[in-house]
Amino acid sequence: MRLGFLVDLSRCMGCMACAVSCKAENNVPLHSWRLRVKYIDQGEFPETKRHFVPLRCNHCDNAPCERICPVSALHYLPNGIVNVDHERCIGCASCMMACPYNAIYLDPITNSADKCTYCAHRIEVGMMPACVVACPTHANIFGDLDDPESEISKYLQEHRDVMVRKPELNTHPKHFYVRGSTVALDPLASERPEGYTLFTDVEFLDHIGGH
Amino acid sequence: MLGAEVTFDVALPKVVWGWLVSTNMWAKSIATGTFLLGLYFIKKYPEQDNFFRKWLPILGIIFIGITLLVTVLDLHHMFRFWKIFVFAHFTSAVTLGAWVVSAFVIVLLIAFWSWVTGNKKLLDRIMIPGFILAFFSTIYTAGIMGEATAREVWVFPAEMISMLLSAMIAGSAAYLVVDAIYGNVLKEEIRRELGYILFGSAGLAAAMFIGELFFAKIHSEFAYKTIEILAFGDVAPFFWGGMFLTFIIPMVLVGIANENKKYQYAFLGALSAIVGLWLIKHAWLIAPQYLPLS
Ligand code: SF4
Ligand code: SF4
Repeated sequence: MRLGFLVDLSRCMGCMACAVSCKAENNVPLHSWRLRVKYIDQGEFPETKRHFVPLRCNHCDNAPCERICPVSALHYLPNGIVNVDHERCIGCASCMMACPYNAIYLDPITNSADKCTYCAHRIEVGMMPACVVACPTHANIFGDLDDPESEISKYLQEHRDVMVRKPELNTHPKHFYVRGSTVALDPLASERPEGYTLFTDVEFLDHIGGH
Repeated sequence: MLGAEVTFDVALPKVVWGWLVSTNMWAKSIATGTFLLGLYFIKKYPEQDNFFRKWLPILGIIFIGITLLVTVLDLHHMFRFWKIFVFAHFTSAVTLGAWVVSAFVIVLLIAFWSWVTGNKKLLDRIMIPGFILAFFSTIYTAGIMGEATAREVWVFPAEMISMLLSAMIAGSAAYLVVDAIYGNVLKEEIRRELGYILFGSAGLAAAMFIGELFFAKIHSEFAYKTIEILAFGDVAPFFWGGMFLTFIIPMVLVGIANENKKYQYAFLGALSAIVGLWLIKHAWLIAPQYLPLS
């Protein structure tokens, strides 16, 4: 079994139900995220387009975070999930430096690294990840990549525009996007003006990882 | 359609590894550089080996102590640092580094004991393992940086060579400073040689930086942006300050000192190199952290 995720970006309407359910399910503190939906506006009026991109850990088959963790706090589960052991983590932040997708945060309460685990605790008892359940448009498709009959496998077979983030890094993400675009998936394809924009404060925190 | 702009997002960390990590690399360069060069001078100038047999362990212990202290302080779970020994994950250069540095500390303690007791043979016996451990203590950070896949300008083996050169700069500069403080106790020949090592390693390291940043073919947009930040952005004061203090000023001053036998210039050049090395390490560490990854 190799569990994977797929987001059909044409279905995502940026409602944030997934992000909110993830926060609630996993006790994710303020200023931290396991799953977030980024908005990117493109073009000039009247030629404009808004992209919504749910971002989470890609559960890479070749995960740099797992490789660099000095104490194996980040480890693979037999179903392919890259899991975190909070008790073992020494908080060195090496995983944050290794993950090219910025998917890991240091929990300010537990002081341990954390990230999306595809809700491993729910999977264990036969449930779907919280974000999949919460999505009103079924944009999140989750399942076994090794099973050709699973919904995710069928989606992957039927769509020719399957994308992953930063494929050139050979991390082999198990998180796919269909009907996506470079603007949505490449962090350098869009400007990131600091300060208030249409909805919120887009900013860099000066020193969140340090002390 | 024209440009795209992020209009909704969470706040992102700018710098994850900050000044404690820069200090770690800087102090480690001094500890390993003084060890490697110390061994060389003990072998080459046995008539003045007392200077190096004394300062090699003292500088080594002080600066490796600083390295270990800032490393543990930088952990968000500092009282769990021991887990690196009992749950060691050997694919990680962080683990390998912790083990190698721990062994190097033992070598430094033996070297210290050898100096205290005057038992020269003790140090002589551990020279080869000591050399190997000091060498790997210098380069393992390059392995960590190479494994930090998110930061594309930190590439192995360029980092490794740069760290070896840093150790040579730091080691020669530290001995020049100690020699000047204690009233030029070293033979002129040795002082000149230390000057040449500082001059040569600073020149090579500067050439590497300039070559890598401004002349090498940069394949990724990420690396290109990082270099912009480094050379012209927020990090530029650290970078250019580091370039001048670590490379240009020491080369000029050591050159004058060795040409005109005015060794006070070498002292100033060495001090400048030690301060500058921290700045350049810091710039190189934080610049790639300024870019959004997701
Ligand atoms: S996306 Fe990042 S955190 Fe997730 S498995 Fe890949 S490298 Fe690790
Ligand atoms: S912060 Fe924790 S999980 Fe991340 S690399 Fe360090 S020990 Fe491993």
